[in-house]
Amino acid sequence: MAQQPTQPPPPPIPTVKMKAKAGFDGHPVEMDINPAVGDLKPWDLDTQFSAMKGRYPRLEGPLKVTGRAKYTYDIKLPGMLWGRMLGSTVPHAEVVKIDTSKAESLPGVKAVWTTESRTVRFAGQDIAAVAAISPEIAADAARLIQVTYEEKSFVTDLEKAMEPGAPPVYSLEQVPGNPTIPRNGNILGPITGRGLKRGDVAQGLSDAEVSVEATYRVSTHTHAPLEPHGVLAQWDGDELTIYASTQGVFTVKEGIAEALNIPRTKIRVICEHMGGGFGGKLAPSATGSQFAVVACILARKAQAPVKLMLDRKQEHLCAGNAPSALITVNIGAKKDGSLTAIHHRSFGSAGIAPGAGTAAPLGNLYQNTPNILGEDHSVFTNAGPAAPLRAPGHPQGAFALESAIDELADKLHMDPLELRKKNDPSPVRQMQYGIGAKAIGWERRNKKAGVYAAETGRATDSLRRGAEGGSGGSGAASPRLGKVRGIGMANGEWNVVARGSGVGCEVRIHRDGSVECFSGAQDIGSGFRTAMAIVAAEELGLQPKDITMHVGDTRWPEGPGSGGSNTTNSVAPVVRMAAHDAKQKLFAAAAPSLGVSPQEMDARGGKVFVTAKPARSLTFKQAAGKIAGEQIAATAERKKQYELFRQEIAGTQFCEVEVDTETGEIKVIKMVSVNDCGIPVNSLTTESQVISSMIQGASWALFENRILDRSYGTMVNPNLESYKILMPTDMFEAVSILTPVANLGNNTSTAGIGEPPSVPTLAAVANAIFNATGARVRTLPITPDRMLAALAEARRRA
Amino acid sequence: MALSDKPASRFSRRSFIKTAGAGAAVAGVSAEAQEKKAEMLGPEPSTITLTVNGAPRKVTVEPRVTLLRALRNELEITGAKEVCDRGGCGACTVLMDGRTVNACMLMAWDAVGHEITTVESLGTPEKLSPVQAAFVECDGYQCGFCTPGMIVSCTALLKKNPSPSLDEIKAGLAGNLCRCGTYSRIFDAVNTAAKNMAAAKAAGKPAKRGE
Repeated sequence: MAQQPTQPPPPPIPTVKMKAKAGFDGHPVEMDINPAVGDLKPWDLDTQFSAMKGRYPRLEGPLKVTGRAKYTYDIKLPGMLWGRMLGSTVPHAEVVKIDTSKAESLPGVKAVWTTESRTVRFAGQDIAAVAAISPEIAADAARLIQVTYEEKSFVTDLEKAMEPGAPPVYSLEQVPGNPTIPRNGNILGPITGRGLKRGDVAQGLSDAEVSVEATYRVSTHTHAPLEPHGVLAQWDGDELTIYASTQGVFTVKEGIAEALNIPRTKIRVICEHMGGGFGGKLAPSATGSQFAVVACILARKAQAPVKLMLDRKQEHLCAGNAPSALITVNIGAKKDGSLTAIHHRSFGSAGIAPGAGTAAPLGNLYQNTPNILGEDHSVFTNAGPAAPLRAPGHPQGAFALESAIDELADKLHMDPLELRKKNDPSPVRQMQYGIGAKAIGWERRNKKAGVYAAETGRATDSLRRGAEGGSGGSGAASPRLGKVRGIGMANGEWNVVARGSGVGCEVRIHRDGSVECFSGAQDIGSGFRTAMAIVAAEELGLQPKDITMHVGDTRWPEGPGSGGSNTTNSVAPVVRMAAHDAKQKLFAAAAPSLGVSPQEMDARGGKVFVTAKPARSLTFKQAAGKIAGEQIAATAERKKQYELFRQEIAGTQFCEVEVDTETGEIKVIKMVSVNDCGIPVNSLTTESQVISSMIQGASWALFENRILDRSYGTMVNPNLESYKILMPTDMFEAVSILTPVANLGNNTSTAGIGEPPSVPTLAAVANAIFNATGARVRTLPITPDRMLAALAEARRRA
Repeated sequence: MALSDKPASRFSRRSFIKTAGAGAAVAGVSAEAQEKKAEMLGPEPSTITLTVNGAPRKVTVEPRVTLLRALRNELEITGAKEVCDRGGCGACTVLMDGRTVNACMLMAWDAVGHEITTVESLGTPEKLSPVQAAFVECDGYQCGFCTPGMIVSCTALLKKNPSPSLDEIKAGLAGNLCRCGTYSRIFDAVNTAAKNMAAAKAAGKPAKRGE
């Protein structure tokens, strides 16, 4: 979730009243909104766009495909040294001694740092660091550091950590988190978040005519961005420049300034291109390391720039992960399918950190349910702290909730889609259901899940023939017993998260007609840079390629950290405002030549013209030539969010799988994701983000699993050949369908899409597997051994 | 799954470890180069000449320095990325004598006498190769960190098989990991590039940018 710094409540902002048309095609809603004075009327359902909603290749594309894009890892400065962190090799200990003498005397070593913290709580925790003239010598030096530990008992397994008498990760007085939350051994909670309690859940369950109780388990995933965390720190006198692989250049600036106690004016943080984050790069360094601070200290000691990148193992150990979860869901319903109660009780481990919550989807989906209760518990283990990972907690929680809904549908003998429709108050998702069902071919699903379990494998079903003869096959091919197909679905929902203030932008129009746009926020691979050029182009009547974008630099106006899917809809409105203000200045400069007042002018199609007589025009370049000086500059700042048509961003997903019942192997065949995305800025990259969510979700569902050794407490699969991630050969047909919604939350009606589509995927895969086989797998990842065990269990019951 | 044993390459992690352990040159190194390597080298840095993107480049490195690090850290040719440092992800893919290799799995000294081609020489931002242009057009990337390796692998694939089926594309990219989740866009890009290259060939001219 967007972990924005908490700010004092802002003073009242003068507003104006206006009307705009919200909603979506076939569902328009005239709404009253109250934007801040000076803000613009939002783009709405009636707006005719020239640039927005188009399909534009990324502006930085040619640099990326030719190897010219310089990432933090790629930057080399004269005299630069190579930093290397040394992490603890044990999961729980007191540090008795750190002997760096051998490392310091190694030729080529220029600086050494050691931690002041004496307590180690996870394997991989910062112990020491070195800076040397080559990465190889830095690695040698790190190996020469001798650490003496006084080892303590530890626990790395979620369920073991919950047992009475489990080794405590923290002593009672050291437990982090809100002290008012109940604590019991390693367990913190229950915590009931906002919107997670309604009515009387016990009563609702006893009123039910049909109920389901089931327990689900999700493994820990790691972010595994291909560019690891890292910085390059360079001092020039007392001025510090940091190149950082980060999702928040301003967060790094703030964090380093406070850690080193230096003024903000002395720090500049740059992130031109960034090699993946997914939520893991929102901290100034990382959730489990202070490497960025350490790099700055080493650089100061050595009086030379220091580049310090984590290696792949360190990235897995100390740079964040998505919490594991153990979730029990109780759902009650009437025979007609109307839900009476949902109880979501979860235990999750964020390692040494609190905040493993997974109950949030309960507060988003099926909000007509009269009685709900979500109870989250964080369980401490001796493992690296979690970090937000693409809709943090939501994929895990939705896996449990949406699997349980599917189980309920089976028990009610209802179509799972009909059960969802019946209980879903969202008009957006009601519209999406039909679109998604058509795209996947929902009518092809096994009407009776578990054909295989019940019939021991005779090819009778249409999907089955598809599996044998290819899609739409004639069935003439000889049946390959054992491969069965099924279709499942699940819902997801996200809230509109945006910064209403603390976001700025500058737009400059130069005398030669060229345009620059400056936003400090970083492009983490979402296509932010290109999206902002599209917004500016829309307002200025130009093409996106006409705009030179400058992003990812704390010298430019402030932007948010890229978390919570908030970057686009926080920054787009202020880009539009700055472009609008620059345009007004351009009109003022060009008005005398056209013999009208600036208010009578408009800009479109690369021209500046008289609104009433479009033929009276200047090219944008000619108009810019009328500027008195060299350039026009306009800056703007956001003041507030508008009223929203819908607070939530709705989505639904459908999945078709093929299960080999002899080997337990699962292949995703096709996935369809239908999503509200506000008004999409760039349909090409918006779809790409949705596709990306499906692929990551399928990877979590089927492959990914951080394994910690029970005897040594270290990760046994800390690289990419053993920490399995979905590869090209595992790939399926991924279909993204956008259903634009004019939300009016800001003057562009944009919304973020990075996270919402990752919420339903785990459950969609598991539900499709159930439809194919009749076997319910409640533990992720669904590996072949688990699949075979579930099949055996299903056969036994059949 | 992730362990890259690229079909186009004779260098597997296993053969690498075997040969590197014995201090001998890996398979495929010319007799001349092998003779040169028979001299005692290291552990101090020595100067060797690599042939990178058609030009001789001198680097002074210890014997333990990988080709990838020599390219990136000494020559500042940083297209190929260091991600896993053990042949598990394909982000460091370069061509050696026209075949894909993981540059992190090859010692710089073992690349002496071979033609190394990196993503930088396949095209420029102003004049993209057909594969590069197709990646841009089809949005075959997000963060872009796997992209140089993907571009090199796709280029090698299309050279070997100008009109690959979807399964052949998947197999051709089997050693290249994308964490952002862009595979289907990449497959589209390979198909687009294949079509454009075939059309250009039929018309008797090289494929133009963006075609």
